[in-house]
Amino acid sequence: MLARVANNLFWMGRYIERLEHVARYLNVNYFASLDAPNELSQSRQFVLQSMLFMADDFSRTEEPLDEEKVLYDIALNPDKDFSIINYVKLARENANSARDLISTELYESINKFYHFVLNYPVENFKKRGLYDFTVQVTENVSILRGKIRGTLLHDEVYAIIMLGVNIERATQIIRIINSKFKDAVIAQGSYGDTLKNSYEWTTLLKCAESYDMMRRFYRQTPTSISTLEFLILNTDCPRSVMNSLNEVCKHIMVLTREKHPSKDSSAFLIGKVRAKYQFKVIEEIEQDLEAFIQNILDDLNSIGLKLQNEYFHY
Amino acid sequence: MKSNNDNPTFESYNRDPKLYDEIFDENDNVRQTYKTLFELYSEHSAQDFGRLNNKAKSSFFNQGITFQVYGDHEIKEKIFPFDLFPRIIDPEEWEVIEKGVLQRSKALNAFLWDLYHDKNIIKEGIVPLDLISSSENYLDQMNGFDPPGGIYNHISGTDLIKHSDGKYYVLEDNIRCPSGVSYVICNRTALKRALFGVFNHYQAHTVTDYAENLLEILETVKPKGVDVPNCVVITPGIYNSAYYEHSYLAKAMGVELVEGRDLFVENDFVYMKTINGPEKVDVIYRRIDDQFIDPLEFKPDSALGVPGLMASYKKGNVCLVNAPGTGVADDKAIYTYMPEIIKYYLDEEPILNNVPTYHCSRPDELKYVLENVHNLVIKPVDEAGGYGISIGNRLSKDEIEEVKKTIQASPRKYIAQPIMSLSVHPTYIEENECFEPRHVDLRTFTLLGAGKDFVLKGGLTRVALQKGNLIVNSSQGGGSKDTWVLKNNQ
Repeated sequence: MLARVANNLFWMGRYIERLEHVARYLNVNYFASLDAPNELSQSRQFVLQSMLFMADDFSRTEEPLDEEKVLYDIALNPDKDFSIINYVKLARENANSARDLISTELYESINKFYHFVLNYPVENFKKRGLYDFTVQVTENVSILRGKIRGTLLHDEVYAIIMLGVNIERATQIIRIINSKFKDAVIAQGSYGDTLKNSYEWTTLLKCAESYDMMRRFYRQTPTSISTLEFLILNTDCPRSVMNSLNEVCKHIMVLTREKHPSKDSSAFLIGKVRAKYQFKVIEEIEQDLEAFIQNILDDLNSIGLKLQNEYFHY
Repeated sequence: MKSNNDNPTFESYNRDPKLYDEIFDENDNVRQTYKTLFELYSEHSAQDFGRLNNKAKSSFFNQGITFQVYGDHEIKEKIFPFDLFPRIIDPEEWEVIEKGVLQRSKALNAFLWDLYHDKNIIKEGIVPLDLISSSENYLDQMNGFDPPGGIYNHISGTDLIKHSDGKYYVLEDNIRCPSGVSYVICNRTALKRALFGVFNHYQAHTVTDYAENLLEILETVKPKGVDVPNCVVITPGIYNSAYYEHSYLAKAMGVELVEGRDLFVENDFVYMKTINGPEKVDVIYRRIDDQFIDPLEFKPDSALGVPGLMASYKKGNVCLVNAPGTGVADDKAIYTYMPEIIKYYLDEEPILNNVPTYHCSRPDELKYVLENVHNLVIKPVDEAGGYGISIGNRLSKDEIEEVKKTIQASPRKYIAQPIMSLSVHPTYIEENECFEPRHVDLRTFTLLGAGKDFVLKGGLTRVALQKGNLIVNSSQGGGSKDTWVLKNNQ
């Protein structure tokens, strides 16, 4: 496979995954805030800040935010690099450059999705389309996941897309945790909540589509510890960081031609990063969550760079 | 016998007796070949066709089978309009076409070999020297070079029309990078989806075997010493108007679709940059024009090509398909010598007719052209895509004067032909929700390899959607039809 095309497929996987997390984050936070148990969590400004921070690190501002503008910027503003419409556009462009390698079915789904987003009526979205739009985006991404899994050869092409998907998934879950952790810190004590029992943990789990399964697994109201443990370390939770790292490990083995990867290879680095988190316990992580978050984002970033240098160099 | 008035969707079908109608004869009866189809279509109402038409359109759009149109302000994504009424060619008619286009492709190949070697045809005065020496498409780099297998035009697209006399005429030969074959296949798929019921009643040849034959042809011209050749398709990129076709062909052949930046030349061998490092490339089906394939030899600022590609080609380490320099033989001035070219190399009579042509480069013919612009089609010799064509009887007096001036300024650049009346075919017209006659042509696809040739049994029937329009190119708003070549007579 061509290095350039591999790079495009890797990013196609990343953009598809990223935009879905953004859409879900918008949906869950907005609607959770409507009947949140305390005033702060209900505050429009609080929610809008949280959304903007999740979509784009650099948009932090002290200025009061305009709801319609924030929603438009994150979802449908073609001039914003971090908008959903921009990610769909890039994903489709990447798919287009690899059209000879992917199935007609997958390309058709991406193309339809692109035209759906492109033609979504902007005014309608700003006034009352948020729920409909974000749900449809999430569903379209589910279709894409199905087509990737069900219509492609599970060879190098598939491995590269899945590397992109899983690295991005781990990154976005960490970013969502980071964002909601900050919200929980700000919100603590506002309604007698401690940080440990904050309402924000429930929202966090819903943002990761993991609330129901978490309840089934722990049989109790989410706390900071159980939520973080579930989303970071639980290998059976399909959205957990650990699960994503395991997937990354699995897919890199399709690409590497060495049985014992050399020290400076991507496969070696990925194995090393996974080993680092495999035997972590949540108590350790909770002691300094901020440092942990920074650490794992750095690790994921270095994996991306390594893949870039080893496979996507053209 | 059904006359066209019995069918509501054909109510407003006005046959023009001056034109050859593909489905109705001079007595307004449906021709034998189309009878079954006509009856089957009569079962559908105008609304049905409207619905099917929309379905086919969205199917093309969703699959991203689109091309870009460059407007004044923005680039628009458009589908190539597809028509629901297929063109049917019976076995006898097809036999003539197939033999005829193959004959032309072979003659052109022999002509190219001669032009780049001994130039006998010029020495014997059959084709004038100035036609070649003044051509920008003659490549000195190709002089004396033997392309692998002796093949220049591996892929030829021949444009044919049926005149009011009911006979086929060749309008032009395209042997640079002829496009359109992917639409032949898409049209078949779309028509099968929309109207699968009609297929059971006709035995039409498949068109999906094109890609496997193309790959075989590519493999016959592999460089010496290569066992299993590594073939690729090179494209200018995703913004090229034919990108869909490039990706389709690569996918259907199971070979890589590369861009210039994916390739590099080292020690006169060509490699592509893969995830596992460099991989040697042996045969390149290039969909990039001559002038852009190698910045070291041609346009130095071309970013589409590969530096050093020509040198590698001339060393025999890689094969380029089609060969560079084929453009010298498909220009519209050479076209007029095709009957002589066929006789000279193959010692055969031309099977397909040529349209009589006047060369503005010859003083007496120029004089005739200038006096008869209103009865002629004036074509620039080296423009593709239907640009720059003037149709005499559509021009105002001032426009005719304007055209005359343009011709006189550079006579070598223009040829003129009598206005051929392209045959018409029933075509679904959205605005009027019914079928109306529209002009059609036919592009066939011929493959030549070392010891193997292939003519795709089918072709691209292009249709001018505007009433009375004779220019069928997609860039000028043309559409296309599925084209069936029958195995047996109906």
